[in-house]
Amino acid sequence: MAIKSRHSVREFSELQEKLFCYTIYPGMPLYVLPKPGYQKKYAIFAAHFGSIDNRFRVDGTGEELILPEGVAHFLEHKLFEDERGNVFDRFAAYGASSNAFTSFTYTGYLFSTTDHFPECLELLLDFVQEPYFTEETVSKEQGIIGQEIRMYEDDPEWRVYFDLMQSLYHRHPVREDIAGTVESIARITPELLYHCYRRFYHPGNMALFVAGDVDPEQVRRQVEENIARRNYRELGEIVRLQPNEPATVARQRITREMVVSEPLFNLGFKDPAVTRLEGDALLRRESAMEIMLDMIFAPSEPLFNELYEDTLIDDRFNAGYTAEKSYAFVLIGGETRDPEQLYERIMEAIARAKRVGFSAEQFERHRRDRLGSFMRRFNSLEFIANNYLAYLFRGTDLFNYPAVLRQITLEEVQLLLEEVLVPERHAVSIILPKKS
Amino acid sequence: MTADSYGTVLPNGIRLTFIPAAKFKTISMALFIHQELSADKATLTALLPSVLERGSRLYPDNMALRRALEELYGAELSTDVHKKGERHLLSCSLEMIHGKYVGEGEQMLRRGLSILGGIMGDPLVVDGGFKEEYVAQEKEQLANLIRGLINDKALYAVERCLQIMCARERYGVFKYGRLEDLERISPASLWRYYREILSANPAELYVVGDLEARQVEAAAREAIYFHRGPQRDGLPETEVYVEPSEVSFVEERLPVEQAKLVMGYRTNIAYRDPLYIALVVYNGILGGFPHSKLFLNVREKASLAYYVYSRLERHKGILLISAGIDGSKYEQVRQIIEQQVEAMAHGQISDVELENTRRGLINQLRAGEDNPYQFINRQLDGEVGGRHYTIDELIRGIEEVGPEEIKAAAEKIRLDTVYLLQGEERTMPHGH
Repeated sequence: MAIKSRHSVREFSELQEKLFCYTIYPGMPLYVLPKPGYQKKYAIFAAHFGSIDNRFRVDGTGEELILPEGVAHFLEHKLFEDERGNVFDRFAAYGASSNAFTSFTYTGYLFSTTDHFPECLELLLDFVQEPYFTEETVSKEQGIIGQEIRMYEDDPEWRVYFDLMQSLYHRHPVREDIAGTVESIARITPELLYHCYRRFYHPGNMALFVAGDVDPEQVRRQVEENIARRNYRELGEIVRLQPNEPATVARQRITREMVVSEPLFNLGFKDPAVTRLEGDALLRRESAMEIMLDMIFAPSEPLFNELYEDTLIDDRFNAGYTAEKSYAFVLIGGETRDPEQLYERIMEAIARAKRVGFSAEQFERHRRDRLGSFMRRFNSLEFIANNYLAYLFRGTDLFNYPAVLRQITLEEVQLLLEEVLVPERHAVSIILPKKS
Repeated sequence: MTADSYGTVLPNGIRLTFIPAAKFKTISMALFIHQELSADKATLTALLPSVLERGSRLYPDNMALRRALEELYGAELSTDVHKKGERHLLSCSLEMIHGKYVGEGEQMLRRGLSILGGIMGDPLVVDGGFKEEYVAQEKEQLANLIRGLINDKALYAVERCLQIMCARERYGVFKYGRLEDLERISPASLWRYYREILSANPAELYVVGDLEARQVEAAAREAIYFHRGPQRDGLPETEVYVEPSEVSFVEERLPVEQAKLVMGYRTNIAYRDPLYIALVVYNGILGGFPHSKLFLNVREKASLAYYVYSRLERHKGILLISAGIDGSKYEQVRQIIEQQVEAMAHGQISDVELENTRRGLINQLRAGEDNPYQFINRQLDGEVGGRHYTIDELIRGIEEVGPEEIKAAAEKIRLDTVYLLQGEERTMPHGH
């Protein structure tokens, strides 16, 4: 079968990198980033199916399906096993290390190897495209994932984060733990896994990224042949349904007790406007928000140093912004001896920033810092590949980041401060030390 | 395969190792000062990195330093202490984008090195001591760090097991020291202590990046200029050879959802011993990989854990097995683990297990060459362990090691301590 794949080469001249981009029939993007001199070769094969994709409409029928929490993650675990056993062992025979992860928005299957790259790539393509679920293997996995859930239940940083999500969001599935609960995963059956698999694990809803000292054309041929022999038809539309999420927060404050030495504090601001943005506009908002947060909260700015000198924070105190297609929020937090005082001081600092504004010197310094930090990370094959796909699935382009960063203006950052960091849309999550 | 490294000694006696590597976007540099790990010095050593970072003569406060790093295109600076065997290492490292990617020239290297050299070699000293308020605040921060060990239950369980197991050895000392020592430390006593180790203890500087040896050496001579006196002769050796008389079992309770089991074994094999590579392969077969016996039998077959692994404390000759489990299944998990260790001792290792482990280890070694800090870490292991293995030597060793040598290593391994962090009630089907 002679199916011609479209392709293009993107030059990223600043960093002296070249990205080979292909579209493999029926509609799967393939990216190859040659890294001469690297011993390691890395590949990630990803499905645009994350924990928040828990409600969708089935083509034609109008039927709506709602999944129990934790299905995407469960499916990730289960693809590692088939009738011949465990896939880790087959990668191990090539010396490769393999793994997978599930995020809110996608599931990635990956390996890295210094030898036998074509065999490993074949194995990756095969195991992800050949599901095998039985009553027995599903029930065994419920035990393993049950322990994974318990492990996270004891992780204070995980708990304080999800408590905040539950406070910021009324209904959006980003509130729920990616692995689900012991109760929700008990409802998962082989039929349900096959159903979701057929929906979301179609090349038209997937992407592959390869990085390392490889020949792009060879990779392209191999992927094309592997996909072609499976006779996929074009993918119908996947209609992801998101609940109607109000702009307001679900509750302002939540407190929990755990075995910790000091309280943990997370402050979030919900940003509902992001759902209107796409592509570079989304990337631009994200980049501008990061610089804005840096100008208030970075260790080079007065607030951080005042809080540190008053021993209200440690050097892990951090402020960040997360933006996806259907949700976005600011998260500020860390460990503190006094959550109430820290809260007051942060809110005062935000109010002060609104009154006083930012300086051009500050703005340029943080822009330079962000640009250099981004470029530094191009040492890591994993960073490039994983982020390229994460950006792709939300409709943005990782390689546009430097250009977008250069376009941002101080004025737009100041407007964002007024728009996003507003008291009406904030929530606080606190973990207090359990008294024994 | 390994890039040729370039070594020289700077005028003040610090050894410089430069590793040219054109493939990296960055220039990475790290300075290490070696100290013995001991109960009475650990807290002092642990307090130093953050006090040094707080103020140098060049950057007298944190804001000045952070702004300099931002101007250097977001250079990342980190100071810390590390424990390798009974050696305590003070480190300061800096990674920055190579100047050629941002239209800057050679002065980037000089600026980076001078930040590093300034922090370690030219601290802010007021009236014969470190600045008082910095020391007071960093004592508070260190106290939080020590108390904060409990926040990560898996790490806490591993540390508790090692403390119990090595209660009478220096290795039992926590790398961040003890709360009760903090009160006695004054800005002057800390400075006296630092001046001594800065002057006399072994120290090394590493630089990795797309540079020329002569430019690195010239920049290092200029930036790492602080004076050092006569060198002390050697640091005490790590105690590796210990025969446990009986197995200790310690159970502690905390209100947690998941129990943590940690089993500590004595291998009686040191980093420089002939059986070291056999021990590395042994650990790989037992529990270093997802194809290993522990993962296969505890997780994949019995469905009793999400994580279970073994790892080597390679400079101390200790092997640790660690798992997160349902507390009510402790006996069953321990039994399966001990069966795997026993199978190893009886030489029950399949060709596939051996071959997969060899390949996995070789893959890890080669992949390590793609990360500047793993490269530096391997050099450092050679310094601490008293034997420098080249990558090729390790790979050849792993390829050649046979079942007899693995069995010889296995026969030396003895269970010493079992530590169980248990939830408050034995059965908690749905948490609290």
